[in-house]
Amino acid sequence: MIVETLRILSVDDEPGMRLGVARALGGFTVHLPDVGAEVGFVVDTAASGEEALTMIEASPPDILLLDHKLPGMSGLDVLERLANGDRDILTVMITAYASLETAVSATKRGAFDFLAKPFTPDELKVTIRKATRHLMAQRQARRLAEERRRVRFQFISVLAHELKAPLGAIEGYLHILKDRSAGDDPAVYDRMIERCLVRAEGMRKMIIDLLDLTRIESGEKKREFVEIDVREIAQASIETVRPEADARRITIGLHADAPVRMTGDRGEIEIICNNLLSNAVKYNRDGGRVDVTLCARDGMVVLTVADTGIGMTKEEAARLFNDFVRIRNARTKGILGSGLGLSIVRKLAGLYGGDATVTSEPDKGSVFTVTLKQEGPSRADVDGSCRTGAVAAAAG
Amino acid sequence: MAKVLLVDDDVDLVEMNQLVLAHRGHDVRCAYSAAEARELLSAERPDVVVLDVMMESELAGVDLVREIHARMPDLPIVMLSGIHRVKDAAERFAPHERDLPVIRFLDKPATPERVACEIEAILKDR
Repeated sequence: MIVETLRILSVDDEPGMRLGVARALGGFTVHLPDVGAEVGFVVDTAASGEEALTMIEASPPDILLLDHKLPGMSGLDVLERLANGDRDILTVMITAYASLETAVSATKRGAFDFLAKPFTPDELKVTIRKATRHLMAQRQARRLAEERRRVRFQFISVLAHELKAPLGAIEGYLHILKDRSAGDDPAVYDRMIERCLVRAEGMRKMIIDLLDLTRIESGEKKREFVEIDVREIAQASIETVRPEADARRITIGLHADAPVRMTGDRGEIEIICNNLLSNAVKYNRDGGRVDVTLCARDGMVVLTVADTGIGMTKEEAARLFNDFVRIRNARTKGILGSGLGLSIVRKLAGLYGGDATVTSEPDKGSVFTVTLKQEGPSRADVDGSCRTGAVAAAAG
Repeated sequence: MAKVLLVDDDVDLVEMNQLVLAHRGHDVRCAYSAAEARELLSAERPDVVVLDVMMESELAGVDLVREIHARMPDLPIVMLSGIHRVKDAAERFAPHERDLPVIRFLDKPATPERVACEIEAILKDR
């Protein structure tokens, strides 16, 4: 709950009116549970339009209670002058002759509401409550839009950086290849070509991950929910990483006594399994182990993937599921990845009413656990409840 | 021939610079993190350090430069940085640090030959 104090400037040439407004609103609070705010007020007063403008210039109020008929410049003149600035002030015009003409003119100049003289303290409070609600909702919307812009900007900056890195590596090698600037040994150049291909593939994988993430977050992708066997999908993922595992003498075991059935989109469950298996091999030590365990418990599918790899500290593990987070240290040097895989896994698990978590110990290994509702995503989840993500923001 | 310390968390960038510099007759040491760089620096003083501004964290490279400069004020340092980041990177330093003759900024992608030429120019000036 935000406790906020709004400043009201009451502009009226009648001292009685100024006093009445200050009295009515002193100690008055507006409770806005939907915005999560409790709003109180402090009231300043001005006796003329000129005085009001000076005060606004010095320190703009949140709400302006502006009498139309003033000696010297009128309320409309004041509004006119204010319209040129980009101040965040909500104006309520107070007028004895609530004529249509005044109303139209004032609205054109940006007034939010009217209050006809004479008014009771309760009428004033109703008007102030309405203005406050509007002001607070407007500010909240602005804050959210600002936050979306910030997330979007950050996502795109990091994405650009992550895509530039492999491109820089490939360009650098190509320059050396073109100029033959690394000597005469052809084996050196063959290795460069090999590295160019590896980096190009890494870049391609990152783009595919990015597309996956965009589809998941935008809710645009058509999802097909069918009865699937997670054990069978896990088995297929194991076969995909088998060549790399064999090359590094890593043993992979699948522990599931029976098919583990759930309702889900096959492609999404494949993405989860592939990401976890590929990480378990990639970050493992040569000659290590990967154990995949699957079971169904209390309506949830529980998938754990344990490796005997480099592991990570608690601090590293805490950041791991965020976009573009790759743990960079001496142990991970030379291991390529998009930094999006686990972020995708967690988002997908969320869509299935579950979660993705990790426990890990440096140099011992990590255990990743993903839970998924067997009945599949609930209706609300299917309707794109995760649209708030960075990619959705970036696309929006 | 010069002793060059290369610091970058991208193995390929280290490798390509190392290949070209070694071919030109330089003695190259490689570090893939700020921590490794510190270790190598304590073991042996190079003639020049080439490092990436954006290492494991946004400030790791900048912190490392400050640290190296404090310990070895006349050791030339070449900072590599992605395009659009050279200015950002420079702004992370106080004006008196930015103007230090021993610290130079080089746009990424800098071809390994460009890096080599920069290093050789620095060493010739000394």
